Amino acid sequence: MISASTSTIPEVEPEEKRVPQEIRVRVLRQDAPSEESYWQQFAIPYEPNMNVISVLQRIAAIAKSQDGRRVPPVAWDCACLEEVCGSCAMLINGRARMACSSLVDNLFEETPGEIELRPLTKFPVVRDLSVDRGRIFNSLERVKAWVPVDDSYDHGPGPRISPEEQEDAYPLTTCISCGCCMEACPQFNKIEVVQREGETADDFDARKQTAYDEQFLGPHAISQAVLFNSHPTGSMNSDERMQALTGRGGIQMCGNAQNCVAVCPKRIPLTRSIARAGRAATVWAIKKFFDR
Amino acid sequence: MMRSTVSTTSLPDDSFLGRHQFLLYRLFSLAGLIPVGAFLVVHLLTNSSVLAGAASFQARVDLIHSLGPLLPAIEWLFIFLPMLFHAVMGFVIIATGVPNVGSYSYMGNVRYTLQRASAMIAFVFIFWHITQLHWMGAPLGGGQFDPHHAASSAAVALKPVAITLLYATGIIATVYHFSNGLWSIGITWGLWTSPAAMQRANWLSIIVGVGLGAAGLGALGGMRSIDVEKAKEVETRMYKARQLLEGGISAESAQQSTHAVSVSRVSSGATDEQGISSKNKE
Repeated sequence: MISASTSTIPEVEPEEKRVPQEIRVRVLRQDAPSEESYWQQFAIPYEPNMNVISVLQRIAAIAKSQDGRRVPPVAWDCACLEEVCGSCAMLINGRARMACSSLVDNLFEETPGEIELRPLTKFPVVRDLSVDRGRIFNSLERVKAWVPVDDSYDHGPGPRISPEEQEDAYPLTTCISCGCCMEACPQFNKIEVVQREGETADDFDARKQTAYDEQFLGPHAISQAVLFNSHPTGSMNSDERMQALTGRGGIQMCGNAQNCVAVCPKRIPLTRSIARAGRAATVWAIKKFFDR
Repeated sequence: MMRSTVSTTSLPDDSFLGRHQFLLYRLFSLAGLIPVGAFLVVHLLTNSSVLAGAASFQARVDLIHSLGPLLPAIEWLFIFLPMLFHAVMGFVIIATGVPNVGSYSYMGNVRYTLQRASAMIAFVFIFWHITQLHWMGAPLGGGQFDPHHAASSAAVALKPVAITLLYATGIIATVYHFSNGLWSIGITWGLWTSPAAMQRANWLSIIVGVGLGAAGLGALGGMRSIDVEKAKEVETRMYKARQLLEGGISAESAQQSTHAVSVSRVSSGATDEQGISSKNKE
């Protein structure tokens, strides 16, 4: 495949001469949760059309740092390799992006010959580049980002949705819960709950969720609340979602920095969702005040 | 399994801020526009009337001070208290954010960071500005503004170059904070929701910002270029005419109904030049 692409695009050759022979990769590593982090440098041979995942795979295959020491392979999360699962978000050259869709050739335009990899800073590190993304899903649970039709009864056909409404909602459905929007948001702060000695996994998780519950939902969850409130069946639970959006850590925590929409790998109109949620919250709060 | 029981039984803490966070943040946002922002607009436009001469400015100041004993109550209710609330909430909000403009240098993020920076500059500036010119600042060596000699007392207070520069900085920070806040408020309340509408609103905030900035800096320049002696003459003439008018209606009640502070102002206003120049020496 590589030879085919080079033969069909002859311009690649002069460019390839400018490309470095090796890739120097700086990785911020951490052996376990809440331990000290440290930098480690790796060097791997350059190949055309690599992405950051394939860089990490080469590092794992070599399992040696640049100075020749044998080191444990770098841990990272990934699954789909096509920007759908959302699990490989990390800080690449200082910015939150997906390792799968970050191409080395493009990254070299920022820093030729070098790549810097760090775990996301707003989530607790599990090991190396792997983080605990549980808070992303805690937020989705808080806004009830689903349509509750999980039963075996025949509810008949659902309400019709016009093509215009479908087109409006579609971009919001493409969210992959990667956490990039939360990472880039200056209003979204890291919450790290440390497991106590002798604490069961369930107790630890419960304590973690309680800590998350009071904090900012994040742009993705606001957008999902807007999506499911715009759905005819989903809107039956609109009040519960509005309760979450106007509750503690709700939409009011947004500071309109609009980084979320700028870093979103799926280009979801997050700021439009946030403004729509703001409008809905305005109407809902006024209605609630006069209806009580 | 554990998860669902937890989220339903232990809802967020029930402190005042926790229970009313949304309301407080929205009131904070509203206060920035009404009454604090609205006051800023009126304040800068009123001050820029000095460009039309000392008499024009004096006439507007007289109009405001015709509220007499009601003025302090209105000031506190509609300006100082909302401003204080906006500032306290603002500091809470600044404390909860972690600016990251170094990593994400997008325009929106730069504006977000400047919004907070300008807020802190504006807070310090406004505190100092009130101390320097408002009568409440007199015990702290300020209170230099004399409502009966509006332009001339302001001109004397603003004349030093360092003071002028501090004012220019303060005005620019305050106007930026307000006009950028205008754009932000529209998103918060859901006035403009689409990116195109936000872009249009952006133009609105730029126009408001440039216009208000021109009014504010124009007022500052206007105050500086006032001929203090001439202005004083005009103001004294206006003051005497007003006294005559009030005296014609009811000489005694006019004197008595005037607020204690404006009475003291009347006496200092009567001594004119000595009053101001001796204050300057201090």
